[in-house]
Amino acid sequence: MANIAAKRIKREFKEIMKSEEVIGGSIKLGLVNENWTELKGEIAGPVDTPYEGGTFLLEIKVPETYPFNPPKIRFLTKIWHPNVSSVTGAICLDILKDQWAAALTLRTVLLSLQALLSAGEPNDPQDAVVAKQFRENPRLFTMTARHWTNVYAGGPNIVHECNSKVQRMLDMGIDEHQARVALSSYDWDLERATEQLFG
Amino acid sequence: MSAESDMEYSDNDGDDYDYYGEHEDCDMEVADRTKSDPEYFVFSCLKVEEVEKLLNESIELLSNSLQITPSLAKVALHAYEWNAQEIINKYKENANEVLVFSRVKPQVPSQSISSRSSCAVCASTPQLHKYSALACGHYFCNDCWAMHFEVQIMQGVSNTIRCMAQNCEVRAPEDFVLSHVTKPALRDRYQQFMFKDHVKSHPQLRFCPGPNCQWIFRAFIREGARRVECKGCESLTCFSCGAPHHAPTDCATIRQWLTKCADDSETANYISAHTKDCPKCQICIEKNGGCNHMQCGSCRHDFCWVCLGDWKAHGSEYYECSRYKEDPNLTTDSQHAQAREALKKYLHYYERWENHARSLKLEEQTLESLKSRINEKVMAGEGTWIDWQYLWDAAKLLKRCRYTLQYTYPYAYYMEVGPRKELFEYQQAQLEAEIENLSWKIERAETTHRGDLENQMDIAEKRRTTLLKDFLEFSSKSNNSSKV
Repeated sequence: MANIAAKRIKREFKEIMKSEEVIGGSIKLGLVNENWTELKGEIAGPVDTPYEGGTFLLEIKVPETYPFNPPKIRFLTKIWHPNVSSVTGAICLDILKDQWAAALTLRTVLLSLQALLSAGEPNDPQDAVVAKQFRENPRLFTMTARHWTNVYAGGPNIVHECNSKVQRMLDMGIDEHQARVALSSYDWDLERATEQLFG
Repeated sequence: MSAESDMEYSDNDGDDYDYYGEHEDCDMEVADRTKSDPEYFVFSCLKVEEVEKLLNESIELLSNSLQITPSLAKVALHAYEWNAQEIINKYKENANEVLVFSRVKPQVPSQSISSRSSCAVCASTPQLHKYSALACGHYFCNDCWAMHFEVQIMQGVSNTIRCMAQNCEVRAPEDFVLSHVTKPALRDRYQQFMFKDHVKSHPQLRFCPGPNCQWIFRAFIREGARRVECKGCESLTCFSCGAPHHAPTDCATIRQWLTKCADDSETANYISAHTKDCPKCQICIEKNGGCNHMQCGSCRHDFCWVCLGDWKAHGSEYYECSRYKEDPNLTTDSQHAQAREALKKYLHYYERWENHARSLKLEEQTLESLKSRINEKVMAGEGTWIDWQYLWDAAKLLKRCRYTLQYTYPYAYYMEVGPRKELFEYQQAQLEAEIENLSWKIERAETTHRGDLENQMDIAEKRRTTLLKDFLEFSSKSNNSSKV
């Protein structure tokens, strides 16, 4: 790993540990390997959002050319959000792409991701299906996002309507995650979701 | 060459060809043609060094009249699309505005002027003189600037490299970049990208899109279909949009058409196969020549490759196979039928577009074999190259005509039904008929009289220019009216 990159990451790591966000528990940062090329981030779902109470894990890969190129970050925890792929966890956020600046830090990036959970940007979507629901059916979107937070991110809010529909599909012998994706994508229409899986 | 070229050929038009013997007149017509060519467009084909000289003149002019560095002049010219006069006028009015617009200075003075106690990027603490900043006042250490520029240059960025501070839009001018980049290879690369970027931002310049082609076009009008021909690779390009030249279709329509073709080509390719069955004896025929007048090798049936109709019907003026007939009973039909009809309509135009594109490629080969045929004749003492030059000219004219014909199909596809479309398709059909006649005659040049061939050339070219004149003028008129 290039000298500047390692030096920068070490310093950032030290500083972030002292930051009020880490002390307050809203973000976390951990090491994955000894040579500082991969880290693990964690952000808490912001209050007054469907993600509230959930904990979201992030994979952070530090490129050789860091900080002159942005870190590569994706969600490890499955999440229902217009700017995050519900399949791969890939993130669409300008500062992780063309708006990256060398003076930005992992702390600012994690805080920006937290802000992204509070305010999705459906006009610049990563996941077209989620973005469509976000725009056209906000009530169903909120319900789905809350349900995913409950199931995958340890959120406390149980959505009974979703659970019972997933259970119905489980009874048909369908894989649980597959069933949840189909139902979420088809606005919790049991018939259409089943049709899509068996069609 | 078509599949049947080895078959004995009986000239359909044999009885009525005329030999005018007007060789001198023909030469004059060639000269006239450039003048009366409706596609005629003033442009020049420049080498990289010539363009560099051209750009440097603008840079020099600007830096001299405003007393600014050439590096700064480049940034401003790039931002103002090389309109030096506009920059000079605006600069005299409000210099600050020009610098902000060019992103040399920040819009609002930076709030957080970074300290020079430690570098915010690498966290090290170099000596005070080892820091530098752009006009925005964001100081970073020189090593970090160097790394930043290296990474950006390796990614192909040149004119638009930004400051390293968050949300700072200020761009690094050339002299600042070069004062930090020391590796010669990297400096070269930076300057190469810079040059490319300058050409792309210059409204009078366009790179020839040919593969590995180094030539650059220069022209002064950048709207409507404008034909430029590369000196190096001979490809035809539209100066306005950079797509292959596409008259009589306009730039927006050809883009729409090419995207559509790219989306639908799989299906269309599948449906319009490379082979067809003879309409009379059903033997499978592969087309291997540009001419659409086919003669079945097995039953000697003359037919049209495009519509599979009898060729005799095509001999008359009312050659109809290029005309797509919209079904008048369609409006009452179901949505399903309409969708099918839409696909049918698209395929009608697509097949013809594709077919002429293929014919053009095959005629490239004809041109090659023609060359060797002429060479053989010259070697055998049957005349000189000059004597056979007319054949060569005929093949080139055929190429030009077929090219235009190919690009009439996207235009027709998007045209609204009405008298304009009828007129267009009538002219298109006439052009198509003459092109096929010409193609047929060239492929059988040994049995075709020179006068007959030259007559045919003249007719085909006239049909082409008539069509282009009518429709290029029309589209430039409608362009102007839409602007008002």
